[in-house]
Amino acid sequence: MDDERLVETFVELADTLIDDFDVIDFLHLLVDRCVELLDVDAAGLLLANQRGELQVVATSNEQVRLLELFQLQNDEGPCLEAFGTGKAISHPDLGAADAKWPRFAATATEAGFAAVDALPMRLRSELIGALNLFRAEPGELDPTALRTAKALVDVATIGLLQERSIRNREILTEQLQTALNSRVIIEQAKGLVAERYGLDMDGSFAALRGYARSHNLKLSDVARSVIENRGGNLDLVGAAKPARRQPRQGTSE
Amino acid sequence: MRLWVTERAAVLGIPISTRVLCETAVDRLDVDGAVLSVDNSSRWLETRESTDLLGAELAELEVTVGEGPSADVRKQGGPVLVTDLDSRASQYRWPAFAPLAVTAGACAMFALPMCIGAIRVGVLTLHRMRPGPLTPQALPDSLAFADLALRLLLDEQAGLPVPVDGAAVDGELPLHAPQVHQATGMIAMQLDLTMEDAFVRLRAMAFAGQRPLAELAADVVARRVRFHRNGDVS
Repeated sequence: MDDERLVETFVELADTLIDDFDVIDFLHLLVDRCVELLDVDAAGLLLANQRGELQVVATSNEQVRLLELFQLQNDEGPCLEAFGTGKAISHPDLGAADAKWPRFAATATEAGFAAVDALPMRLRSELIGALNLFRAEPGELDPTALRTAKALVDVATIGLLQERSIRNREILTEQLQTALNSRVIIEQAKGLVAERYGLDMDGSFAALRGYARSHNLKLSDVARSVIENRGGNLDLVGAAKPARRQPRQGTSE
Repeated sequence: MRLWVTERAAVLGIPISTRVLCETAVDRLDVDGAVLSVDNSSRWLETRESTDLLGAELAELEVTVGEGPSADVRKQGGPVLVTDLDSRASQYRWPAFAPLAVTAGACAMFALPMCIGAIRVGVLTLHRMRPGPLTPQALPDSLAFADLALRLLLDEQAGLPVPVDGAAVDGELPLHAPQVHQATGMIAMQLDLTMEDAFVRLRAMAFAGQRPLAELAADVVARRVRFHRNGDVS
């Protein structure tokens, strides 16, 4: 792992916390940096809604197959376990995990992943979600990477709270619920843009995000605007950036 | 949650309704009143249920002065939980609303959104005369009440029958599944509809075909199913 890049990441995250803070943008930054720093192939951050269902709020890769993999874990899988037990869960070889998580292991393997980690997001005694990491090659996450992942998870939790005194349940609840709803707005916008421009979900997300970045706007605001204007007001396709790192074994949409 | 509402309805010998839900919330949550408002066609919040006079007053006050916790919920998309309307922070945030609300007798307000992303159905607002937070148990329960109210209103909008038992209310509406929302966005574009109307169509199609909503949504996302303006679905 590149130490300088690691330091840069924490500086970047800290700056985001202090400046004009937006939870969704912050969490997207976090999962992207996870992929880069931890040398994994995909990362997703899931938060529990008030019914206890785990929902993805940010992922490094918007392909439908990956989202499905996160979603599945409401029934079985490492995230469900991590969220249920409060412990970090990992499996270095999903090919051999089918006894433990039959559907999850099969779906993950088919999507090109061979190893998985799930780290719980905890606030004192309360579990609020999990960070999910996927790798295309089997094997364990090295100890440094694991420690860094835990630190990034803690930063994510702090980011959700925006204050050092972590006593205020009201703020946590407001932030969590707002983030969950913002994600739904983004999903709705993804659908609308995909249909309008003939894109797949990954491409649609890239267009939204590319536009947000190049115009220095919050992703959630762009999503809202797109919905209001049916995607006609923005040059979204022009702003689409090339797809991010994919799992090494092909997973075409 | 569902069980409490069902029990109450059963005791009173009436079907589950938003009214029963509001009364149950007041019973169970250490608040003094509940107001259920819905977004009407002009995009204003209209009071539909109010368990007491103070609630109705607070709702009217927000409309009159154009600010307040429920108004903020609509802007943010997330809950606004005010433990003390008399605090400096509250007075700063709502300089017109907060002092008047306190005079009227309310010190705490908890405004909970009923929405699905960009689809704004309404707000469930709880108030209490005494300041202070909701207990660690009451807080998630209050969100559960709002969620249940959302589902009741959506079922009503979809023209589904009022359930007589709790199980049917929860029914088949997986709002945590991303493909449901992606499909809604696609249909909105395919049929040139608002998200609200697109969602109603999606639900109606699932109901008509007796298909699980998530499955139909996945088909829409994968482009195996398309909605056409002439009313066809292919």
